[in-house]
Amino acid sequence: MRVQVEGWHAVGTWTWNAEDDACGICRLAFDGCCPDCRIPGDDCPIVWGECSHPFHMHCIVKWIGVQGNNVQRCPMCRREWQFKSS
Amino acid sequence: MDLKRLKKESVELQEPIEKCGVTASPIKEDLSHWKGYILGPDDTAYAGGKFEIDIVLTSSYPFEPPKMKFNTKIWHPNVSSQTGAICLDILKKEWSPALTIKTALISVQALLAAPEPDDPQDAVVAQEYKSSIEKFKATAKLWTERYAKEGSMESIQPLLDMGFSEEQAKDALLEARGDVQAAVEKLLSGA
Repeated sequence: MRVQVEGWHAVGTWTWNAEDDACGICRLAFDGCCPDCRIPGDDCPIVWGECSHPFHMHCIVKWIGVQGNNVQRCPMCRREWQFKSS
Repeated sequence: MDLKRLKKESVELQEPIEKCGVTASPIKEDLSHWKGYILGPDDTAYAGGKFEIDIVLTSSYPFEPPKMKFNTKIWHPNVSSQTGAICLDILKKEWSPALTIKTALISVQALLAAPEPDDPQDAVVAQEYKSSIEKFKATAKLWTERYAKEGSMESIQPLLDMGFSEEQAKDALLEARGDVQAAVEKLLSGA
């Protein structure tokens, strides 16, 4: 039997390479997006702290805003929050 | 307010109270007002009691802590015996958005087992705790019996037999700090 390929469609999948499944602030999956966004992906990225805890960028930025002039702390481990430079 | 997160929290809190000692459910459709319950920890003056907690969430939740207070009267150095206001760091400046209504209730329950008399919410209770721990425990236990338990106080039966109502008997016993004889005298002199 001979098979002739007449056409093909490439399909790619992607996922964030976070060690946790869900954001510790909004509790939504990293494969989704934060509660304020509608489409997962580059518009709603994940960021990591120096302590290695990941969050939706929009969630952690809100938390940093709320803490005002106090020392910014990671919601999970309370270490001083610093964005991890990739 | 993060409604998606609150719906998840609501599901998490639907387990029966016997399972983890705390429970809560929304009492307003917009999820801004909840009612919670805490079981008094074993081996404390609060054992056997079920305490109702009023929980109000602001529009900034979970970036601001839930506002919690006791609806059930309780005798504890870090809870106002008058208003039910709670003094607990994680409900104020140590709040983190990684905490939830459930973990906050569990922290309040832990506070019942480990009072902090040096950071009091109720100075009178804290003073009693520091000056006479036995007296404190007796009062706390009586308040648990009076306000946090369904059914009767253990020592109430003789008073009921004398024809006093349950309410009268409970209040008299509370005022007499559990001393049945003194409660009887109080009731008789008042009648």
